Amino acid sequence: MELIRFFLERRGEVLSLSLEHLVLVVASTLMAALIAVPLGIVATRRARLGRWILGLANVVQTIPSLALIGFLIPLPILGGIGARTAMVVLVFYALLPIVRNTYTGITGVDPAIRQAALGMGLTDRQLLMRVELPLALPVIFAGLRVATVVSVGVATIAAYIGAGGLGSLIFRGINMLDNRLILAGAIPAALMALGADWGLGRVQRRLTPAGLRTERGSS
Amino acid sequence: MKRCLWIVAVLASTFACSGEREGLVIGSKNFSEQIVLAEIMAQQIERRTDITVERRLNLGGTIVCHRALVAGQIDLYPEYTGTSFVVILREKVISEPRVVYERVKAEYDERFQVAVGQPFGFENTYALLIRGEDAKRLGATTLSDIVPHSASWQAGVGHEFIERADGYSGLVETYGLRFDTPPLAMDLNLVYRAIEEGKVDLIVGNSTDARIVSLDLVQLTDDRGYFPPYEAVPMVRKETLARYPEIAPALAELAGTITTDEMRRMNYQVDVEHQDAAQVAKEFLDGLETTEAAGAGSNC
Repeated sequence: MELIRFFLERRGEVLSLSLEHLVLVVASTLMAALIAVPLGIVATRRARLGRWILGLANVVQTIPSLALIGFLIPLPILGGIGARTAMVVLVFYALLPIVRNTYTGITGVDPAIRQAALGMGLTDRQLLMRVELPLALPVIFAGLRVATVVSVGVATIAAYIGAGGLGSLIFRGINMLDNRLILAGAIPAALMALGADWGLGRVQRRLTPAGLRTERGSS
Repeated sequence: MKRCLWIVAVLASTFACSGEREGLVIGSKNFSEQIVLAEIMAQQIERRTDITVERRLNLGGTIVCHRALVAGQIDLYPEYTGTSFVVILREKVISEPRVVYERVKAEYDERFQVAVGQPFGFENTYALLIRGEDAKRLGATTLSDIVPHSASWQAGVGHEFIERADGYSGLVETYGLRFDTPPLAMDLNLVYRAIEEGKVDLIVGNSTDARIVSLDLVQLTDDRGYFPPYEAVPMVRKETLARYPEIAPALAELAGTITTDEMRRMNYQVDVEHQDAAQVAKEFLDGLETTEAAGAGSNC
């Protein structure tokens, strides 16, 4: 009850910080997708480069997010205090799931279908645009979904460097040892992650070609 | 990174402190001055007594340290009287240092079984800082001076300042400050970098911070007396004093020995020159002993 009253008292602040949080997550995930999908495609076309791309994306993922922020703060263009640095970190973290899923989605296309397409005289470009990408789309989207959910969590650290978002409430709560403040940041973040997972999951199902849908049968 | 460290420290302490323990534990908040002060106290006790001193430094903000002290997870830590007065005792701001000190001493004794030691000799108040060039351009020396110019300014503060009773909302109200955008809240150590980068135009830092000088910042006078006095003092559990009576005289030797300039110099060594806080504390205590020896020598 006490917690609900606290939420109501602060609803304006919670709402505006949630909005900031959402903007950070959406903008960074979109930017990551714009970089990662082409990288994933390149990886399927050039095997050696592909190993490098996937390896590098894997390495970035292993750097603790706080350490990555620490490295970025003194850098001139990518870093500094504020939302830009936070965006860079979020983009870095969103890359791997999207690159990997783009790669797996395309390489997972049934070789027989690819052979048939090539037999019909499609060029590599046509093969990619008309056959491979449409078939891989649900898998790519699954990567986007994972990236978004991860970003909601990582974005709470953005408040450390003054980028706002729900992490502001969490950091304040930690400093003041006030659990209500921590929850006022953590609960909306958790809801946002669940909502993103659910919403993007629905989109993903709609993107799946009817013939490939496994759940609920095909109509 | 510091946050993670103290979370680990707090977790570790909950396990470590379940039974009776030997020696004493010194805590500190998460900025350099606190770590230096804690080191000075720790090394002073090590020099004067045989007690083993464990350091549990970088423990986050005021309330984290206070709770740890009251719960007996740490035995002492450095605090500022005004902070205790406003944040812990939730009193209205008073600007009289003596009154604040006496009230804090009496209340801590009664409510928390904590003894407030003698002041170290300096104050670390909240400092409203702007770039030197802005101060020159506007001819601003007091906080009231900048009120007409501040609408388009961006303020940068630590997270704690947003929530404290002697914090942001009261400050804005007292001075009639109007900013178009809400303050950027970040880790307290990063506000200096933010103003250096030009991300913010006004920061709320600490008056003893070395970066005020090294970044050419100007401290605006709190001309309406919004902030209470913040004298640095040791906070010690009375139970610990009863168990180890020899630490009281050891700490009393430190009373009045650290001037504001001295503290700012030590902060400079740690924050700007990246010297080890323990080494800085050691050099301070060495210096103190040399002057004492010289003083004693001349008396003979």
